[in-house]
Amino acid sequence: MKQIDVREGPRLLAGYDEGPGLTAHRARYGPLPDLDATTLVRLAKQWDIRGRGGAGFPFAIKLEGVAGKRRPVLVVNLSEGEPAAHKDAALALGRPHLVLDGAAVVARALGATLVHLVVPGENPRVVRAVRAAIAERSDTRLFTIHEAADRFVAGQARAVLELMAGRPNLPVTAWQPEVFDGHRGRPTLLSNAETWAQVAVRVLRHDEDAPDTTLLTWDGETSPMVAEVVEGTPWREVVPLDGPVLIGGYHGAWATPRMLAGLAVDRDRMKQTGVPIGAGAVIPLGPGECPVTMTARITAYLAGQSARRCGPCLNGLPALADAVAAVAWERGGVARVEHLQRMVTGRGACTHPDGTARMVGSMLATFPDDVEAHAHGACAFALDAQRERELVAR
Amino acid sequence: MTDSALLWYLNRATGTVLLIVFTLVVLLGILSTFGNAGRRVPRFLTQALHRQLSLLGVALLIAHVVTAVLDTFVDIRWWQAVVPWWGSKYEPLWLSVGTLSLDLMALLLVTSLARSRMGHRSWRAVHVLGYVAWGAAVAHGFFIGTDYQSTWPKLLTLACVVAVGLAALARSVSVLVHRSHTRLERSLR
Amino acid sequence: MSRQPRQLRVDWPSCLGRGLCHEVLPEVVELDEWGYPVVTGEVTPDLLADARHAVRTCPTLALRLVKQPKR
Repeated sequence: MKQIDVREGPRLLAGYDEGPGLTAHRARYGPLPDLDATTLVRLAKQWDIRGRGGAGFPFAIKLEGVAGKRRPVLVVNLSEGEPAAHKDAALALGRPHLVLDGAAVVARALGATLVHLVVPGENPRVVRAVRAAIAERSDTRLFTIHEAADRFVAGQARAVLELMAGRPNLPVTAWQPEVFDGHRGRPTLLSNAETWAQVAVRVLRHDEDAPDTTLLTWDGETSPMVAEVVEGTPWREVVPLDGPVLIGGYHGAWATPRMLAGLAVDRDRMKQTGVPIGAGAVIPLGPGECPVTMTARITAYLAGQSARRCGPCLNGLPALADAVAAVAWERGGVARVEHLQRMVTGRGACTHPDGTARMVGSMLATFPDDVEAHAHGACAFALDAQRERELVAR
Repeated sequence: MTDSALLWYLNRATGTVLLIVFTLVVLLGILSTFGNAGRRVPRFLTQALHRQLSLLGVALLIAHVVTAVLDTFVDIRWWQAVVPWWGSKYEPLWLSVGTLSLDLMALLLVTSLARSRMGHRSWRAVHVLGYVAWGAAVAHGFFIGTDYQSTWPKLLTLACVVAVGLAALARSVSVLVHRSHTRLERSLR
Repeated sequence: MSRQPRQLRVDWPSCLGRGLCHEVLPEVVELDEWGYPVVTGEVTPDLLADARHAVRTCPTLALRLVKQPKR
C-alpha cells in the first residue's frame, strides 16, 4: 500500500497533522450542531456542493429528494475504486470525523437511524482507521460498515447497493435513480466521502463565505500526493505544467499544458471546457509514455475491470482496448476505435464502458498529431513536449 | 367395436401421440437455447412452435385423461388424474407417475402464462422441471399396461429417450464449456 | 391509448444476445457483432404491437417498453 503524502489545507485538511482522533477534531471544529431538515435543505441549496465522487451531481438535489420521505437511507462511499485517486483514503486516515460528522448531521436532520459506510476492502489501513473513528464517537451505533470488493466498479452506486443487500458487489440495471428507489426500495442518499466532509466543514465552521475547496490527488511516479485546493486557483500554481495530464481519473479527460496554462481549478468552468475535475485525480504520463500509449494501457486495465455482466461491455471493452493498442503500436486505424466507442456507450447497466469510451475519445480529440504519428509508426510526443514547454514558459 | 374398446384405443392412441408430441416439445425447448441469430430458422419461430406444440399436448392430455376415466374397463376415477396414489386401483404406481407428470405440466403451463409477472429466474427454476415431467410421462407410458413387451412401443420409447438424452447432453456440455470459459477468463485477469 | 412514441430499454445483465427481439422487430433493433441488440430508434405507434411481441418473446425477459426518453 502506497504511503500518501497529504498536504495541510485551508478547510478540510486544516491541521491534518494533528491526527485523526476525535478529541483533536472537536478541539478544532467544536461540537456538531443539530439542524432540522428544512434548514439543512435551505443551506445545502446555498452551498451548492457538487458531488466529489466523479459525476459532480449537486448534493442539494439528492438531499431534497430524500428529505421528508419515510425511512431514508444514507450511504457514505469511501471505497474509492479509482486507482489514481487517494483523497478518500486521506480523509479516512486523517480526517474521518469530518466525513462522519457530515453524515451524522444529515442523519439526525432526516431521522435516519443508520448510516452505511462503504470502505475499500483491499485497504486494511483505511478500514481500521474508519472502525477506530466510529468506536471513539458517542453515536457509534449510527454507523455500519460494508467492505467493498477490490474492483474499479465496486464504488458504482448500484454496485454499492448490491453490496449492502448482501449480493455480489457488481452493478445492476437501475430503472430509477437511487434517490427514489434505492436500498430495499427506500429513498437513498449515496454520496462520496469528500462530499460528506464538505457538508460537515460548512456546518461546523459556519464559514459559508469562505471560498470552496476541492481535494486533488497528484498520482505521480513516487508516492501520490493529496492537496486541498481553493476553487479558482490557476492550474499552473497547482501542478507542474511540463506535460499532458489526465484529469478526473481513468474515466477523465486529457489536458495539455497549454490548455491548463489558461485555466483554473474551477469545477463548472472545467466541465464546460470538456475536462471535468470529477474525482480530482490528476495523472501525468508514466515513464516512457505518450498520451496514446498511456491511453492504451489504461483502456486495457479498464477492460479487465468490466463486471462482465453486460454483453456490450464484456465484449466491447476488450475489443476497444485492442483497437487502441493497435493505434499505439500496430499502426491501427482510428475508425475501428470510433466504432467501438459508439458500440459500448449507453449499452450497459452502468457507465463503466461509457467513461472508458469518453476517455479514449478525449485522447483522440486532444492529440491528433500524436495519433497521426503513431499511424506511421512514429511518436510525435517527444517533439510536442519540447514545443509545449517553450510555449508555456513564454 | 364396443364403447369401452373405443375409449381404450383412444386412450392408447392419445398416449402414443403424446409421447411424440412431448418429446418434440422438449427437443424444441432445448434447441431454442442453441446458436445465435442468423441461423436458418428464426429463434422466435422455434419458440412459437415449442409453445403451440405444448398447448396441443395439453389438449391431447385432457383427452387422454377423459378417455381413461370414462372407460369402465379400468377403474380410474376423476381425482386420480391430479392426486397420485389415493384410492387408486388400477396400476397405482405407474398411474401415479402419470399423475405426477400431469401435475408438473400444469405447473409449467400456469407459470409460463404468468411469465412476465414472475421474473425470469423463478420462471426458469420451475421450467427446468419440464425434464422431470417428460421423464415421468415416458415411464408412465412404458410401464403401465403390457405394451412394453411389444417391439414398436419399445422402439418408439427408445427413440424418444435417445433423442432427448443426446439433446440434453449437448446442452449440458455447452453450459459447462461456457462456465469454464468464464472461469478461465476471470482467473487470467 | 397514447400516441406518444416509446423506447425499448434493455436490462443488460439479463440479456444473453439470443436475438429474438431483432427477428421480431428489425425496424428498431439491430444486432452488434457479438449478437447483442442495438436499439436504433423509437417505437412509433405502428410498431407498438410488434414491440410488445418482442418484449414477450425475449427468452430472458430482458426487454422493456418505456414511455420516458432515454437518458
